[in-house]
Amino acid sequence: MKTLIVEIIEPNRLGELMTASRKFCDQPDIVAIGTGDIPGSYHVAYQTQECIGANLTASLGDLIKTNGYEIVLMSATTLGASIAGPLAILLSASIITEATGITDDSMIERPIYGGKAVARYKADTWPLILTIRRKYFEKDTLNGQTSSIPLPVSAGPVKLVTEKIEKAEGVPLEDAEVIVTGGRGMGGAENFSMLKDMAGYFPKGAVGASRGAVDEGWVSPSLQIGQTGKIVAPSVYFAIGVSGASQHLAGIANAKCVVAINKDEEANIFKRARFGLVCDYKNVIPEIVRALREES
Amino acid sequence: MGRIPYWNIQCGIIIDILAIPVFCLLSYGFYRYWMKIRVGKDRIPLGLRSAAMKIGPLYIRSFFTRGILGARIYDQLFTGITHGCLFWGMGLLFIGTILVILNIVFGLPIFEGRFNKWFMSFTLDTAGLMALIGVLGLLINRLSPSKRLSAIKLRKGFIPMEITIIGILVSGFFLEGLRIASTVYEPGAWIGNMAAVLVSAIPNGLVWHQVFWWAHGLAALAFVTWIPFSPLSHLFLAPLNTGLSVPISGPKMGVLDFSAFENDDATEEPRLGVSKLSDFSRKRLLDASACLWCGRCHEVCPAAQTNKALSPKAVMITMSEYLNQEKYEDTSLIDDISKDAIFNCTTCSACMEVCPVSINQPKAIMRLRQHLVMEQSDMPDIMSQALKSLEARQHPFFGAASGKKDWRKDIDVPIFEKGKTEHLLWIGCAAIYEERAQKIARAMVNILQKAGVSFGILEDARCTGDPAKQMGNEFLFQEIAKQNIGDFMALGVKKIITLCPHCFNSFTRHYAPLGGFYTVISHAVMIDSLIQSGKIQIRSQLQHQAKSIAYHDPCYLGRRNSTFDEPRHALSSVGNLVEMNRSRNLSFCCGAGGGNYWSEEEGERINQIRAKEALDTNAEQIATSCPFCLLMLTDGVKKFTEEQKVFDIAEIVNAAID
Amino acid sequence: MHIAVLAKVVPDYAVPSSDFELVDNRAHAKYTRMIGLYDENAIETGVQLKQKYGASLTVISYGRDSDVPVLRKALAMGADRLVMIQGESDDAYTVAANLKLAIEKLGNVDMILAGQQSADMDRGLVHGLTAGMLGCPFIPQVSRISSENGVWTVDQIMENGVREMSVSGKAVFSITSVPENVPRIPAVRDIFGAKKKPVEKMVSVSGNGACVTEISVEIPILTSVCELIPMDDPGVMAQTLLKRLREARYL
Repeated sequence: MKTLIVEIIEPNRLGELMTASRKFCDQPDIVAIGTGDIPGSYHVAYQTQECIGANLTASLGDLIKTNGYEIVLMSATTLGASIAGPLAILLSASIITEATGITDDSMIERPIYGGKAVARYKADTWPLILTIRRKYFEKDTLNGQTSSIPLPVSAGPVKLVTEKIEKAEGVPLEDAEVIVTGGRGMGGAENFSMLKDMAGYFPKGAVGASRGAVDEGWVSPSLQIGQTGKIVAPSVYFAIGVSGASQHLAGIANAKCVVAINKDEEANIFKRARFGLVCDYKNVIPEIVRALREES
Repeated sequence: MGRIPYWNIQCGIIIDILAIPVFCLLSYGFYRYWMKIRVGKDRIPLGLRSAAMKIGPLYIRSFFTRGILGARIYDQLFTGITHGCLFWGMGLLFIGTILVILNIVFGLPIFEGRFNKWFMSFTLDTAGLMALIGVLGLLINRLSPSKRLSAIKLRKGFIPMEITIIGILVSGFFLEGLRIASTVYEPGAWIGNMAAVLVSAIPNGLVWHQVFWWAHGLAALAFVTWIPFSPLSHLFLAPLNTGLSVPISGPKMGVLDFSAFENDDATEEPRLGVSKLSDFSRKRLLDASACLWCGRCHEVCPAAQTNKALSPKAVMITMSEYLNQEKYEDTSLIDDISKDAIFNCTTCSACMEVCPVSINQPKAIMRLRQHLVMEQSDMPDIMSQALKSLEARQHPFFGAASGKKDWRKDIDVPIFEKGKTEHLLWIGCAAIYEERAQKIARAMVNILQKAGVSFGILEDARCTGDPAKQMGNEFLFQEIAKQNIGDFMALGVKKIITLCPHCFNSFTRHYAPLGGFYTVISHAVMIDSLIQSGKIQIRSQLQHQAKSIAYHDPCYLGRRNSTFDEPRHALSSVGNLVEMNRSRNLSFCCGAGGGNYWSEEEGERINQIRAKEALDTNAEQIATSCPFCLLMLTDGVKKFTEEQKVFDIAEIVNAAID
Repeated sequence: MHIAVLAKVVPDYAVPSSDFELVDNRAHAKYTRMIGLYDENAIETGVQLKQKYGASLTVISYGRDSDVPVLRKALAMGADRLVMIQGESDDAYTVAANLKLAIEKLGNVDMILAGQQSADMDRGLVHGLTAGMLGCPFIPQVSRISSENGVWTVDQIMENGVREMSVSGKAVFSITSVPENVPRIPAVRDIFGAKKKPVEKMVSVSGNGACVTEISVEIPILTSVCELIPMDDPGVMAQTLLKRLREARYL
């Protein structure tokens, strides 16, 4: 099926979309947004500097109609969310957002009810506009580069005033993909350096703390996670020496996977955890750090 | 031949005549208090109908015990004794003075025989000495004020009064000595006689006698005039305030009427809670007037003792300052007291328990809180989250990892059946949604089943609404309570067993005014009665290896509802009970009350302080009978030990039965 | 200025997984119904704009008649009136078509706000479709809005930063959660006041469908909620953990 990827030039996103596109075609086309070379090999590559979704919709609509694309793939990001809905109306297309899986018979899986259930859908008509959630599709290796044709974009309704891009360094807890949190079981401020090392090996890794650890003055209150601190939604949440009081759990309700490391096997945190290690963190954390270092 | 009135004095009657304007000024002084207090909204209510010994709104018993006898002053020994010496000494001297006036006016024969010797001379001399010792002790208290006196602000005006009293007493002894030195030895007047020896060398004794006589008399009159304009106003305000206070611990928040909001014909919508002095009841303004800033409340307040924004003393000081400045309509009262302070209160009621003049500080704080929550929607984020959850889901444990039925997943718990089940076992929110507290519910179910008690739970988990009430959202509380009352009526619930003292307090105190009347038994009392009646058997081998158990009194079971002995009794049958330093009605809060389980505690933690006190007993186990205390202490203990030491009474007893 | 907020009533989104049940592919009816999390942020944003610019604020909801009492909360929070479109479809096109009709019926709407995504279907789609149907610009994940001379200036929260943008004329913004738009508990007199505010009911029309068919809805089965990594040499435990995290696609 004729597939078009619409995405900014960012290798991780493109890699994931490439994987998703394999379910529909051998080589997709792309509308690449941004400057620079386009990594990966595409059948046809269009490029534009226009980064505001609302301004792109009309041109994308024309392109899709003209070329008869059957699948339009985007990642479920701010950009994807900007484009998907209005574009679907423009094309009278079928649309599925925030997909987390595509089965071999082209059924689209997506979580509903905050991930408590998974629904499967089938598109009835083409084109299908599909946005995929980040981190659910393996990154495909992007071989080579594809030279691009500029995509003509007429002036849109939205003007960009300013843009503040946060530095990759020191990821805010709310945006972290991996959080390594220490609790009162850490035993002292000095032990948090171990957690910092560990967090450093994850692309969007950050260190957090439970109220117990903040209370003890081991770390700054800005790191506190819980109903009284920051509410976080990382992909992986390491809770180390954290007992798991409900106030703390309230702050990690949206964490996808909680890994609990605690000596006390009755600790409440194991009830919330997806993976549990009943052991002294002092033995296992250095080993995790070693394993991560060896991989990187 | 006895003493002669006005001996050596010309026109002494002037002093007695001056007493008339002095009395008028005194009355005027107190009338000014009334003029301020009457700004308050409600009249002093008639109070409990059931209480015995009442005249109108005045509770005779507490009026005499705490008001006149000042029973609570003696909780602090030095102050108690010095205050007692001064009060009773001055009281006797006042009686003596009255008798002298009666002698002058009606010729009452008081200066004769044994009465003169033993009362007018010996007793009054002794009373003078007592008063002198007392006032000197109090002066020392003031000159080097203790922490509680100087906390927030030291009240001025005591030292001049004390010096005046010393002056009156010393001049009295002087003129007595001068009189005796110039006349005859006075039997019984042991101090006067000694003073006579001392002053006999003074030349012109008769002139000095006149000087001291007039000084003494005029100083006494000035002193009396001064009373209402000085902290000594408590001489009248304290007994009055005590007599008018409902003698039940805890703020009695009553029921707010919301019907005017729904009634289209209602001319005025009521103001909810209090934002300025004139919104308070007259009793609260009397509280503020009677407060001596003694700081006993500050000393026991869990918030004040952990350096939070709140001190009950500060609340009373701010209120009394506003009252003195006649800022009746000034809404900056809330900011001056501080919003943080208003939400810091754990409603533990320790302040009112120790207040020597029976002030109800928590009620003032709660009224302010009601205003912030219900009128301004202004409350700490976490409390707001908890309230939102309570409103939408009927429980305040937002983000709970447990479902409604998780606590009874692996056990069989009977459901309450209309007409068949006797007791409703009320689980309450904490024991349903908080993992650690779920064990209490499971233990209690097992105990009741072993004992063959007819009980059942509600199919659907519920909250009494108490957290809303404590956080100041009376409206939400009533919505929940009315629904529960309706459901109980449909189910025919008459007897309720509670696991949580907050539920207990809610059912007994707050449901009745809404039409819900039940026999409510706290689980601690139920367990005790099951042990005493032999319905559950404690394993016999246990007695050889009995553990030592320290018992923490939950505020809402102990201080608020006077359940002290039953839990101790029950624990004594399974272990060796150890008492903590502060226990029973002086127990220190765990920090969770007043909705503060859902708060971001800054600085020192209340629960850690209490946990430390419990650990200091070296008991092997720490017992309590409240799920919130259990959770707070469990967390508090973690700072000091990794050992799991805190248990609910139901868990401890359940582990000891076959 | 007339602001319309789109709000959806959903089953309790905080029900723990262990307690979650489906009936006919949807959450069991026993769960408490409440306004979606982000929708409350949108309403609060609307209320703040109303206070700032003296706007009128209408809440539009597509759903069941029985949800009106739940939506009263939006009125208590400060909305002026409620338009309730009675319908039971979960189809995004159908819902959007109905919302579009309601907005057009109001006539003079200057701005449409909606929560970033509903708390049940989690699609984040209906507002974008509605914008498309209305033919007006759509900006998702907005955290702040101001107005000057008919131009909206908005902050959009992106994955890697914040973007400030401006757009003029009628526009649709989806609202994300920031501390500034966390809804407050309505004051009691506002709760009573809300009972007197107008509620307009509309009968829904059937849309032409999003052209997708829902095949199944399942609750993912977790054999053991917490998988304990077997006690072993710490090095092996670390390796096992990382391997399992990758297998389960968390890393």
